[in-house]
Amino acid sequence: MKRIWKKSTLLLASLGLTASMLAACSGGSNEEVGDADEFKGTITIWDGPRWPDEDDNKYHWLESKIAEYEAAHEGIKIELVQVPWAEMGDKLGVSIAGQAWPDIAPVDISGSSVSIDHIEQGVVEPLDAYLTKEEKADFYENALDAYSYDGKLYGIPNSITLHTMLLNLDLFEERGVTPPENGKWTYAEFLKTAKDLTFDRDGDGKTDVYGFSTYILPGYYEAWPFFYKNGGSPLNEDLTEFTFDDPKVVQAIQDLADLKLKEDAAPETLGGSDVGGTFQAWANEEQRTVAMEPWATWAIGSAQGAYPTNFMVAEYPTGDSGESVTIGGVGGWLMFNQKDDANKKAAVADFMKFISSTEEQFTMAQHYGIFPARISSSDMEPFKDNPEMARAMEMSDQVVMLPRHPEWKKIDEAIQTQLQLVFNGEKTAEQAMADAKKVVDELLK
Amino acid sequence: MTQVKLDPVEQATVKENRLQDTKELKKSHKKPNRVWQDMKKNYSAYLFLLPKLILFVLFVAFPVVWAIVLSFQEYRFNGSIFIGLDNYIAVFKSEAFRIALKNTLLFTVVTVPFSVISALVISVMIFGLGKISQSFFRSAFYLPSVTSMVIIAMVWRWMYNYDFGLFNYFLSWFGVEPINWLGQSATALWALIIMSCLIPFGTGIIMYLASMGSISQSLYEAARIDGANSIKQFFHITVPLLKPTTLYLVLLSTIGSFQVFTQIIMMTGGGPGSSTETLVHLIYKTGFRDFEYGLASAQAVVLFVIILIFSIIQFRVLRHDE
Repeated sequence: MKRIWKKSTLLLASLGLTASMLAACSGGSNEEVGDADEFKGTITIWDGPRWPDEDDNKYHWLESKIAEYEAAHEGIKIELVQVPWAEMGDKLGVSIAGQAWPDIAPVDISGSSVSIDHIEQGVVEPLDAYLTKEEKADFYENALDAYSYDGKLYGIPNSITLHTMLLNLDLFEERGVTPPENGKWTYAEFLKTAKDLTFDRDGDGKTDVYGFSTYILPGYYEAWPFFYKNGGSPLNEDLTEFTFDDPKVVQAIQDLADLKLKEDAAPETLGGSDVGGTFQAWANEEQRTVAMEPWATWAIGSAQGAYPTNFMVAEYPTGDSGESVTIGGVGGWLMFNQKDDANKKAAVADFMKFISSTEEQFTMAQHYGIFPARISSSDMEPFKDNPEMARAMEMSDQVVMLPRHPEWKKIDEAIQTQLQLVFNGEKTAEQAMADAKKVVDELLK
Repeated sequence: MTQVKLDPVEQATVKENRLQDTKELKKSHKKPNRVWQDMKKNYSAYLFLLPKLILFVLFVAFPVVWAIVLSFQEYRFNGSIFIGLDNYIAVFKSEAFRIALKNTLLFTVVTVPFSVISALVISVMIFGLGKISQSFFRSAFYLPSVTSMVIIAMVWRWMYNYDFGLFNYFLSWFGVEPINWLGQSATALWALIIMSCLIPFGTGIIMYLASMGSISQSLYEAARIDGANSIKQFFHITVPLLKPTTLYLVLLSTIGSFQVFTQIIMMTGGGPGSSTETLVHLIYKTGFRDFEYGLASAQAVVLFVIILIFSIIQFRVLRHDE
């Protein structure tokens, strides 16, 4: 009897141990999921301006979705806080510092507003419990990857963006230059085109139009695909080593800077920090002083709407690697910490899913110059009447994501501030990347 | 010296009186009582001060104390960790902080004397004008003080534009090649310094004009009788008598210069490279971009100490000797 009791106790103890180990390993997957219908109260959502309606209201899409959701869910009020995109990062930063965050906000998790540190500290809620396997399967894998950390999903992706080269075809025509066939070209062809498009229109001895321009600023990556043209990346695969000092990367950086410094095919402002001024130089009808600029896909919508331009989309030119590369980004909705209010969490997640549905992502893609993060939305062919966006979407397979290092913002700043000095001729690319390496190596320790 | 002899009864009375006096003296030196009595006596004044005091405690004193506490912690949302002096060690080891300090010092050393001296010169020029002209110039020079620095920075950014800015346009008259004012390390910080110098120090002008009005004309009359010309009168009467105002303005503009931020974030973002990085911009980046609130607080405390030291030195050098 004693032996049997001993055996049972041992069995129970081992079962208990196994159960507790399993619970620990599951990482909270058995967390209580509340009932969205039980929640009565206010959900706060921040959003930036999107496409305008006939009254020039750039928040009309979300406002209409809120009205629809509120009508279907009695007792739930959704408060929209309108935040200009330029202020979104700062405002979120301050709200996180004061622990006065919204319930939902649109955030590119690899951007500067929310860091991996925040996820580790519980500022952002995991959403695995609110999306079924089937629902997750409808998202592109790289979109889900961008919002995943440590095996958990921390947001619902709603868009994918990438960078493309935008070519002003009027200026090509004026100079009799042929644009690249299918938008594909080598760096040598790009360089020749940029030089051919640089000219003095009125014969006063001053250059009026330049072939190419872009800007260099921490957090912005329009110029970066040029640096990948010969292969290489900022950090090695296991994110332990700075690799932008590789000779092939250094050469690629120097090549682009030399467009201004040696070839005179780019304006003095190449590599400056004036984002708006750079865009105006390409898009504004009264300026049009630059023929080719790289931009994220939102600029396609802008060139088709607010700044009507006769343009085409081209790939970034290829270098020694022979492959065109572009930098991609993923946008989506984050749920901020809900302080264990399970019912509210469920309601917030429900609303996030409501505004990220197949139809909504299709609508956004059609009007807002982004690619859907859902496969089903892409299947609806949002760009069948928009060849420029369709061409840009073809470049999705060239997308390279930025390294996801917890110190990326500092690493990025260390690189970009040195790049600025290359482009204004104060340092060679080799010197600049050697100096960046000193700072980045410290951060990687 | 003869001593008056008292009888025992008188001696006892004197002793008792002395004891009483000592007790009262001690009583009157008890601080809480004095403060309490003072508050009771002037309660209406304290009541008037109370709203401001509450606001001061809430929005100034508490954040300052909290920043000091934070500077010894690694701030985390789920419970901060006390890390002693680690943040301060990181501040003093930081190359970025050293560059920001150097840039801020250069900005301060050039802009403060220029602003204060130019305010004095403009005030002297305005002071001699008639009432209407004086009011006009007073308002005109004060206008930048009530205009948002964001707007001013945007206008100056346009003025420094490489392609169509005002400065390069003027230079082109003399056949000078355009300058990339904000795009070169060699010129970016100086462009910001020139901007700060050329924006009139409105508060300074108003304060100097008010102080000049209170200088007795008899002093100038006496000087004139003694044969002092205008320049001598200015340096021997006006300047010395304006010393308290000058001290205040130097302190005010030094603190303002050490805290330069809006121009940086609007016009250069600290670049190119780190050529226009300043202390407050660095603190902002550390806090709200890198989310290292403890380190940002330590940087802020160090900046506070630097400003304090500068203020003490200025106070000692420029204080008004009675």
